[in-house]
Amino acid sequence: MNRLTQLPTLRINPAKTLPFTYREKKYQGMSGDTVAVALYSNGVRIFSKSTRYHRPRGLYSLDGECGNCLMEVDGLPNIQAETSLLRGGMTINPQNIKSFEKDSGPDKVDPAGFDYQKFHKPYKMWPYFLKRIRNAAGLGVVSPSFRMKGLFDEQYLNAEVCVIGGGPAGILAALAAAEQGLRVILLEARPWLGGCSDYRSAEYTPGVALYSRARELAKAVEDTPNVRVFSHTFMTGLYADNHVTAFQIGAQGDHFNERYMEIRAESVIAATGCIERPLLFENNDLPGIMQASCAHRLARTYGLLPGERAIFSVGHDLGIEAAIDLSDLGLPILCVADCRPDVQDPRLIKELTERGIPFMPGWVVSKAEGGKSLEKVTLTTIEGIRHHAVECDTLVASADLTPAAGPLFMSGAKMEYDFHTGFFLPGQLPPKVHAAGRLIGLYDPFSIEASGHLAGLNAAKDCGASVDALLKTAQKEIGRLPGPARGSKWMLPPSVSLNRDIVEKIFICLDEDTTVKHIDQAYNMGFDTVELMKRFTGAGTGPGQGGISGHNLPLVISRYHSDSVMPTLPGTVRPPLVPSFLATYSGRSRDMVKRTPLHESGKAAGALFQRERVWKHARYFSDDFTCREEIENVRGNVGVTDVSALGKFRIFGPDAVNALQRVYVGNMSDIPVGKVRYSAMCNEDGRLIDLGVVTKRGEEDYYFTTTADRADSAMEWIRYHTRYDQWNFHIVNLTDAFAAINLAGPNSRELLRKITDADISGDAFPFMACRTFALRRETSRDSETSNVSDISAIPVRVMRLGFVGELSYEIHAPASLAESLWDLLMEAGRDFGIRPFGSEALDALRLEKGHVIIGRESETRTTLHDLGLGFLWDEEHAGISTVGVPPLKFTRYQTGRLRLVGFKTEDPSRAPRDGSIIVEKTIRGYVCTARYSFTLKEAIGLALVESRLAKKGTRLQIFEDGMKKDERLYATVVSTPFLRSVDG
Amino acid sequence: MSLTITCPICGKRNGYEFRFGGEDRGPRPDEKGMSPQEWCDYVHNRANIAGVQKEWWCHRDGCGSWFTIRRDTVTNLEIEN
Ligand SMILES: [Zn+2]
Repeated sequence: MNRLTQLPTLRINPAKTLPFTYREKKYQGMSGDTVAVALYSNGVRIFSKSTRYHRPRGLYSLDGECGNCLMEVDGLPNIQAETSLLRGGMTINPQNIKSFEKDSGPDKVDPAGFDYQKFHKPYKMWPYFLKRIRNAAGLGVVSPSFRMKGLFDEQYLNAEVCVIGGGPAGILAALAAAEQGLRVILLEARPWLGGCSDYRSAEYTPGVALYSRARELAKAVEDTPNVRVFSHTFMTGLYADNHVTAFQIGAQGDHFNERYMEIRAESVIAATGCIERPLLFENNDLPGIMQASCAHRLARTYGLLPGERAIFSVGHDLGIEAAIDLSDLGLPILCVADCRPDVQDPRLIKELTERGIPFMPGWVVSKAEGGKSLEKVTLTTIEGIRHHAVECDTLVASADLTPAAGPLFMSGAKMEYDFHTGFFLPGQLPPKVHAAGRLIGLYDPFSIEASGHLAGLNAAKDCGASVDALLKTAQKEIGRLPGPARGSKWMLPPSVSLNRDIVEKIFICLDEDTTVKHIDQAYNMGFDTVELMKRFTGAGTGPGQGGISGHNLPLVISRYHSDSVMPTLPGTVRPPLVPSFLATYSGRSRDMVKRTPLHESGKAAGALFQRERVWKHARYFSDDFTCREEIENVRGNVGVTDVSALGKFRIFGPDAVNALQRVYVGNMSDIPVGKVRYSAMCNEDGRLIDLGVVTKRGEEDYYFTTTADRADSAMEWIRYHTRYDQWNFHIVNLTDAFAAINLAGPNSRELLRKITDADISGDAFPFMACRTFALRRETSRDSETSNVSDISAIPVRVMRLGFVGELSYEIHAPASLAESLWDLLMEAGRDFGIRPFGSEALDALRLEKGHVIIGRESETRTTLHDLGLGFLWDEEHAGISTVGVPPLKFTRYQTGRLRLVGFKTEDPSRAPRDGSIIVEKTIRGYVCTARYSFTLKEAIGLALVESRLAKKGTRLQIFEDGMKKDERLYATVVSTPFLRSVDG
Repeated sequence: MSLTITCPICGKRNGYEFRFGGEDRGPRPDEKGMSPQEWCDYVHNRANIAGVQKEWWCHRDGCGSWFTIRRDTVTNLEIEN
């Protein structure tokens, strides 16, 4: 198709072509084209088949007001071709491809709410219907293996004033606020500023076209340093406190494909202008029928004439202006019908006459005909008396404009129907929200600019600027200029009356194939409000977000309400105003993972890592996932494992002990220096939430550990539960400052002896004791030059305890020395045959000792008592002011609770899978953890069972996922620990 | 999140930085003589008012302190004292 390449209003670069593929054929578009424009320029007229009746649909708007142009682009379905820029090499396909070739869908239109009424019984038939409906309807198909490509960024901005809409009103508003020294953000959905002036060649002032004025304003605002302009940015939501959400499409050279934005503004100005209110007539959905701005912008912005024989049926002056301009650009126009009998600007009528275009005021299109696209339209007088049929390939149709009032609805503005404009306008705006421009019904370019200026000053006032004098002048100025124009109230062609059969195919909503007849049927079934109608007929619930039906639906419904002259209000507007990818909302979605200070050491030793919550843990140190050698080496020799993920805290001050006693159920008052107290934290339900140790390091100074999961929240927990007490204590999270290594096995003491001078004999350093000393290399220890040796000394805090059982040491050292400590231990242990062990071996080893892991052996229903850990509660010292103690009292003797028990399977070689259920007629519990114990040479496990099954010797029936109905694994309840301590 | 919260130490910040600590109900009750049902009520039930409520927040991604603010639960706006 020939394109107009010399227009000053073009937003394409005719010198640069972009190749793309459509339905496996190669085409060329121009740089700056949208996908829809590129297709249109290559002769594509049918863009989709409608979701329900498979009717062909064409290019109707250019701003995504309907789903007509949803296409599959580069494998991604439901891409809005109207607003997506063409990129070289794109692969574009229509959706609903199966029916794409067929002429048209069914001739008959189903009644309103057809699916709801017909398919719900008998219930067993539903899967059959479901399949049929799914096949027949719907939009694109997502491949389950599809991976979203691209970079999705996010940005959180602050500004005094946020202006939504970058047309003349929005620009003037931004400039007025910026002149007061305020930080302003200006959002514009199109890739350029200028709004509807951007493509209008009509005069602004003698010799200056509107588009020149728009470019001048755009430059002015872009050059203003305290205005940040975001073009190609769709505003999606406006929330309390003027919190604006939006997303931006990355331009060439941007580092992101799309960027999610949240803006906090003191004051918000909506200057979003208008879209068009569709004209309702028979077959109003045929390809070849489009909105006035669509036809106008195709030519002016993209250099494309929409057709070869065009009819205009409009209800606003912008439509007439479009006809004049398009005629000048070479579009043959057969006639211009205007549903308004009068009120047109006489200058426009004169210009039509000068060009020899018949002007028909008081006429409107009542019917369109054609197969795959438009062939003929019938024009009718608004009284319905005279008819006139014309053959044409293009029908430019729109009843009037309608404000893009989404932001106002979301702001909580009280919207009202305005009889002068026929618009839904804000009767009252909430504080710090303003509206300007065409959005409030203004028509005259000077009025639009003045209203923007005024809104900008009002917003500045919200932010504390002294603008009273300026405001007075601005108000006076706007009073001198023309106010809102009278709008057309046109709704339905005269052939459609409520008292007779309504023509079937007048589509009030293109996305959901909802017709005026559906509205009639639904109304007669009792769905008499917009909200009910939307849900029952689907009107306005499609991808266009009510862009097509938003204004007409309440008007049509109002016709039935004979008791009120005030039209019913449109349905609730909810964010997002514009559909976007979920990927855009998820932003960068970085995978945040923490590595312990010993990560590299583990890696060098051959660790296989696994993610567990935020941490990356070394899980295995060989590809034997039973970890037999790792386990046996701990039990028979000596092993090391990285336990740096444990939470580590210092708490000090006069009230430190009170704070500890508030959260720990053990006695905190008598911990001697050098001793370790094993204790538990419960929540207010008595549920075990943390297990760890507390050591006293000096007067009013304690060091305690928590499980890895609680490292993040322990401080918050302690501060929360002491928030009323005004206690004097300080708490420091040392989790990342310290590394921790568990040295375990019968040879661990011998190993330590090689690298320390401290007395670590069983008497000097007994079980549950804590010591501080230094570890250093044997050679440096032997050397006489103590100065040198001190450099290589590693200060450590060592606790004689361990999750895996005796003999075991937990060694804490500054994180920066962690790798040296690891190397030192590995080197000193080489003669013993030391091996690192991972979290899986740790799991099996602790199971042999009957130690619980919170969240594995405990759950939301289990208290400290249920887990057999009631002995940790010191009733005398941890009284009612300790968190969790009241329910510990209540549940102590309670029956019918779950109990944690140990079991051994009857087949000693077979451990049930974790999570298997324990049954006896019904479910009685479940297996928490079970493993084959290489130490005991039999399968052992821990299970939570109903208390009556908890007695030693009870036979448990275990059902594993995948077993046959009557198949069971049998086990016997035994006492724990399975492995008794062998003291060293 | 549109909510902003004023931390007494760090000032007015984005609501994302904070953790909710529930409505302000005063110190822990004296459990003496309290039945399990009454305790359960204390632990799990809230007044859940529609209007201005005094409530606890923790500046989790900031200074870590717990403090109270007054918030209108209907408009989800912090009310300045
Ligand atoms: Zn803070």
